[in-house]
Amino acid sequence: MQDQLAALLAKAAAELPAVATRPDFEAAKARFVGPNGELTALMKQMGSVPKEQKPVVGKLVNEAKTALQAHLDAALSRLEVGEIAARLGPAVDPTLPSPDRAPGTFHPLTLVREEMTRILRKVGFTVVEGPEVETEYYCFDALNTPSDHPARDAQDTFYLPESARFGNVSKKSPHEKYLLRTHTSSVQIRTLLKGQPPIRIVSPGRVYRRDTTDATHSANFHQLECLYVDKNVTVRDLKALLDYIFASLLGKDTKTRFRPHYFGYTEPSFEVDLSATHLPKVNKPWIEIGGCGMVDPIVFKDVGYDPEVWSGYAFGMGLERLAMLLYGIDDIRTFYQNDARFLRQFA
Amino acid sequence: MKLSRSWLQDYVDLAGISDDDISRAITFLGFEVEQVIRTGAPAFNNVVVGHILTRDKHPNADKLSVCTVDVGFAHGGVRTIVCGAPNCDTGNRVPVALPGAILPGDFVIKEATVRGQPSSGMMCSAKELTLAEDAAGLLLLSGSPEIGAPISSVLPAGDVVFDIEITPNRPDALSHLGVARELAAWFKKELHYPAVSFTPASISANPRPDLLTSVRVLADTDCPLYTATVVTGVTIKPSPDWMQQRLAAAGLRPINNVVDIGNYVMLEYGQPVHAFDATKLANGEIIVRHATEGEKITTLDKKERTLSAGMLVIADAQHPVVIAGIMGSADSGVSADTLDLVLEVAFFKRQSVRATGKRLGLGSDSSYRYERGVDVHSLDEAAHRFIDLILAHAGGAVAGPIHRVGSTIPWEREITVTPGYINEKLGFEIPAAEMRAALESLELVVTREEPTEKRGPAWTFSIPSWRDDLDRPIDLVEEVVRLYGTEKIPVSVITAPGLVGNDDPIVLFNRKVADALVGQGFNECVNYTLRAGQEIAAWTTPAHVESLALANPFVEDQSHLRPTLVSGLLESLKLNQSRGVTASRFFETGRVFLERNGQLSECVAAAFILAEETGERSWRPREAADFYTAKHHAETIAAIAGIELGRQPTALVAAPAHGWQTGHAAVAGDIKHGWTATFGLVDLAHLKALGITGKVYAGFFAIVSEKVTADADRRSFKPFSLQPAALRDLAVVVPATTSASEVQKAIAKHARAAAGTAFALESVDIFDVYTGKGVPEGQQSLAYALTFRASDRTLNDDEVNAAFTKVQTDLTAAGYQIRK
Repeated sequence: MQDQLAALLAKAAAELPAVATRPDFEAAKARFVGPNGELTALMKQMGSVPKEQKPVVGKLVNEAKTALQAHLDAALSRLEVGEIAARLGPAVDPTLPSPDRAPGTFHPLTLVREEMTRILRKVGFTVVEGPEVETEYYCFDALNTPSDHPARDAQDTFYLPESARFGNVSKKSPHEKYLLRTHTSSVQIRTLLKGQPPIRIVSPGRVYRRDTTDATHSANFHQLECLYVDKNVTVRDLKALLDYIFASLLGKDTKTRFRPHYFGYTEPSFEVDLSATHLPKVNKPWIEIGGCGMVDPIVFKDVGYDPEVWSGYAFGMGLERLAMLLYGIDDIRTFYQNDARFLRQFA
Repeated sequence: MKLSRSWLQDYVDLAGISDDDISRAITFLGFEVEQVIRTGAPAFNNVVVGHILTRDKHPNADKLSVCTVDVGFAHGGVRTIVCGAPNCDTGNRVPVALPGAILPGDFVIKEATVRGQPSSGMMCSAKELTLAEDAAGLLLLSGSPEIGAPISSVLPAGDVVFDIEITPNRPDALSHLGVARELAAWFKKELHYPAVSFTPASISANPRPDLLTSVRVLADTDCPLYTATVVTGVTIKPSPDWMQQRLAAAGLRPINNVVDIGNYVMLEYGQPVHAFDATKLANGEIIVRHATEGEKITTLDKKERTLSAGMLVIADAQHPVVIAGIMGSADSGVSADTLDLVLEVAFFKRQSVRATGKRLGLGSDSSYRYERGVDVHSLDEAAHRFIDLILAHAGGAVAGPIHRVGSTIPWEREITVTPGYINEKLGFEIPAAEMRAALESLELVVTREEPTEKRGPAWTFSIPSWRDDLDRPIDLVEEVVRLYGTEKIPVSVITAPGLVGNDDPIVLFNRKVADALVGQGFNECVNYTLRAGQEIAAWTTPAHVESLALANPFVEDQSHLRPTLVSGLLESLKLNQSRGVTASRFFETGRVFLERNGQLSECVAAAFILAEETGERSWRPREAADFYTAKHHAETIAAIAGIELGRQPTALVAAPAHGWQTGHAAVAGDIKHGWTATFGLVDLAHLKALGITGKVYAGFFAIVSEKVTADADRRSFKPFSLQPAALRDLAVVVPATTSASEVQKAIAKHARAAAGTAFALESVDIFDVYTGKGVPEGQQSLAYALTFRASDRTLNDDEVNAAFTKVQTDLTAAGYQIRK
């Protein structure tokens, strides 16, 4: 009996490592431990074992059974490992590129606009929008640009025909003409008329000039305009805003300076220059970046604010110009061609 | 405007102030310096006239000479100078830079030894003195100038020209005198006016009524003041060198003394003037009148111009001789044999000059000044200066009194301001005395001064007539800060009181759309709003195209507002394809202009395109985009606007499909009701016409700008059942033209009814669309998964089966064929 058990184990140890498939395994398992298997057959001989030997033989049989099961388990787990490997196939090449689409990209004008509005939001400016089709009142009259002002020439401004009707662009008077806004300052007027001071807004948006397209001019471009109206707003506050904006955008060592200038809707008015290190393709100590000033009392009066009570400042700049400075782009038309090699460079 | 430094020097002493400092002053006074141009020789110290006495070959260098040069007793007499120029010949007089001289480029001249020979100075070429580009040899001084004389006294004087931009509010600065006034204020110097000796009282010669019989102004609104003076016996010749040089520096070509003097007075005072040849005025008459329609004049530039009624002209008895304030006629002007002059100095209304100039497309230095506004109160002074200079440089005599027609309302303007007010507006303190001095330096005069309680003295300033732009206290704030120096505005920390509103919903919409589509691999584009009419004609009705046309387009391909963003994106795709750049997904957000209830509406829009032909090859290709990809992205965009596109009635685009491929593109919504969405395949014929290869799917969503809302209302939580669901699959055979959503709705309706109140139909989801074997031709099989669930218990098979059977029975009764 003892010898038979040993022979059985030896046979299992020899055969089971060679089993390659599940059916073979199941057949082997039946052969060894199944109801008609060899171990079962041996166990059936227990009856003929003398009584005094039974404990010893029983122990031997149990040991053999355990050992046999261990062989079977080993074979099974070896098979399973093989099966998983077969299901997975060979190892991947981790250096192959993903065939899935790369993420998209934001246009650089969007990036610059968002960066500016983020900076301004931190100091309480809310982003507002206004119509691109405007009327003469909002674009010119209310901004102290009288009807004989050169800016209103059909030479410089796109007008819509007298017959044009817009359902959602309100006119101040029935006879004014529709036009494409030449600056985002028109949003100032709509905001002042709608809002209650204090007001602190930034309005980025598309504007239009009737101009020859070249490396620095485009029929439409984008501006960003800030307006702050409150009590006791001063020139010093305006300078602080500009210093804050450009230090946030370009680093602490950035400087701004004001040069006196003229705009119909601010008094005093200034042009803003900035001086910053590390701007690509800039070789001048000061670069003109925008215009600003204190809201002219005429503008306040026209929208029904008492200029004795309310004061404010406005600042405007071109987004293309800023993006060109930041990224070192030298032709404004590049923004509007949408060559994917351009679009992919910034985000 | 071009300003000559030497000319400015006549009115304000700028000696010792560097060009850079003047440039800076002009800049911070508020006039942009566009260019600084240096002409002639700069001022040199220690550069004198030398006379070459001998020339010998340098013993140690082939190309050098050793010369002895007499530089005058005061400069050490005869010096030995080594020279490399070929023309350092004996007898020549040349500029010699003595040791101690500093030549341009900070080149310091010292005693030196050149190849073993001592050299005491340097003989100079024109290039070394920045007189010319050419350095071929020494500058030979002609006319035997005095030996030892400073070179500056021999060479034509150098000048510096500041080309500056004058803002439209400052017509007073369109003159040398005006800018000199500003510089005098900045540098705290005195302003010297030209000495004018002519007075009407000084007229001695006999009147010549034969030359100027009458001056009549028939249009006194457009010409409030007209003066004319007869000067007889002049000699036409070139103007003096200094005048020619100044005019040339200012960018005007010298013509003859009379014309040049006219230009000189204009550039000096900012007052345009004009000189007629008196004998060329028919009947000796001057009539200031409006042109009659169709009247003709050939202007100085030799062009015949046809005038319209209302244009102001100066005419003689027969025809117009000047378009008032703009340009004279070719034949009434001064010529070489002119003897007698009529000098015109007049004031024309800016609106009149502007309107005429604009209509004729004609401008001049004169009209530029009239359009911006000349100071009528300085007119007489300029007229007297004009006469002075004519008499001085053209000779002749004034014949008879000045004809003066019209009048001016006496100028009077006062502004009262306090230092306290100015400081409040500025936000920092400038001492009161400094403010007052600044304003006084601009010739504002304090006429009254009264104390105030808190704001210091209330000064009442009288405003000079040339500063029409100063009208209110705030205008004086600008004058003070200008002269104080904007660079001195103190630095401070931004104050931001809590004042935070919500960003405009449109801003949020655009931002979210961009975020979502960038996340889906789209590249954001920015295209022009103005499109060619022909381009947008493919995308909308002819009537709509017509309504989008601008009144005054600048170029043909940018003549219309855009009704869609898709055409721009296709243009971008085309550009990339033609450049061989692989890219297939583009989007844009922006405004479009749609027809709504018979009017245009400005709409907020977003669009994308997906090109099938990416040009890319992949080692492991992914599934290609199709209609449903476009639908997915359109749903994403609509959802951002708060619209659940999947629940909206959606139909194939109807013919004419306006850019879309019929049968493969769909539309939902209608801009009439506030929004619209179109998505699917772009018309293949249109793509072919555009030269785009491969199919392109696109989506376009637009919403009327005022209907874009902020975030949707906060939703309340709906509890859901934790019990297991019961699933049943159901296939229905319907005609291929029946829409899936219609079948889905029918199944849902019957299933909901079958479940009754006992339990709930949770969802009906399509999971298979099948045509082919087992389904008759022209029919399709649509398979749906029905999910039932109870809120309180596990459903048992019997109740679910009963409901499911009823659904099938009801559907069959409703005409649907259940596929077993």
